[in-house]
Amino acid sequence: SSYAIALKHRGMSPICLRVVVLVRWSRYNPYYLEPEVRREAYSRPEAELSTEEQEERKLKELRPIKAATCSTTSSVFDDPLISKFVRMIMTDGNKVLAREIITQTLENIKRKQVEKYHKSPAGKKEEIECNPYTIFHTALENCKPVVGLASIQKGGKSYQVPIPLTDNRRRFLAMKWMITECRENKHRRTHMYEKLSQELLAAFEKEGNVIKKRHELHKMAEANRAYAHYRWW
Amino acid sequence: MSAQEKVRLLLSRQNGKPVLKPNRALVLKDAVAIRRPRKGEATCITEMSVLMACWKQNNFVDALCSTEISSFYTCVSKAQEAMKNQSEQSLHQGRLPPKQALTLLKRFPNIQSEI
Repeated sequence: SSYAIALKHRGMSPICLRVVVLVRWSRYNPYYLEPEVRREAYSRPEAELSTEEQEERKLKELRPIKAATCSTTSSVFDDPLISKFVRMIMTDGNKVLAREIITQTLENIKRKQVEKYHKSPAGKKEEIECNPYTIFHTALENCKPVVGLASIQKGGKSYQVPIPLTDNRRRFLAMKWMITECRENKHRRTHMYEKLSQELLAAFEKEGNVIKKRHELHKMAEANRAYAHYRWW
Repeated sequence: MSAQEKVRLLLSRQNGKPVLKPNRALVLKDAVAIRRPRKGEATCITEMSVLMACWKQNNFVDALCSTEISSFYTCVSKAQEAMKNQSEQSLHQGRLPPKQALTLLKRFPNIQSEI
């Protein structure tokens, strides 16, 4: 064939034809188990575990286990929530930039809080939280909505029905609101880490636009509580 | 009388016209129709209404409604577990879901030819 001739001309053997590996819809067999990355799970002695956990350990000895992603580590600095936030901020696969932004955000939060700590009187020093990770976690917790709205069609008309949300959905909404608010509603000449740190500190104090958005959602859900029976699950 | 004898009576021409004039063979198909499951009811409505009343009273401040929020979350998690266990329960009640019946019939179909 002409392709084989072209390969021979270039000095490659015609046998090494390119084989396309289909990865788009590939997934692990459901038989595979999730890997346990945390170091604390393995340092516990045998006697401390309950029967279920001992059975789980025996199962893990025999079943195949999925490979851990390259972003998960068993170090003390690995935070799954921060990793999720990094992935959500990432655009065009530029994870290095996203991670840089987040580290700068945390540093910025720490700087602001330490400045506040040193400026405050002695009595109020204990109240100021300086750990940027706890600030991040509590800010996100304060942003999570309790109930959400779903558009349900009934009798030709669509209604906004209040529905309970799963934990993953709530976490996703909190992070999404935070990111979109920082991208769109702030001054364009400020750096992303500056915008994020401002918004996170505001959410920590239960102020700011993201908390306002969460409030608006709750108010809408309360206003539409009559349609709650339109749900069927 | 067994089912076979009843069918034979329905098809016989001895007592006048036959009741049944089937155009296809009276044989069961190797498949079951998959019907849409009936729509359930909304879960945790009482908890949600209690939560909303608390919100309305306290002007949507979450710190004052923490008990209602936690009870709502427990109700939601219980409802989700019930949904997951529902498929197992239908087996215990003697009802086989149509998809599982279909897979079983595909594995053990009617015998078409002698082996």
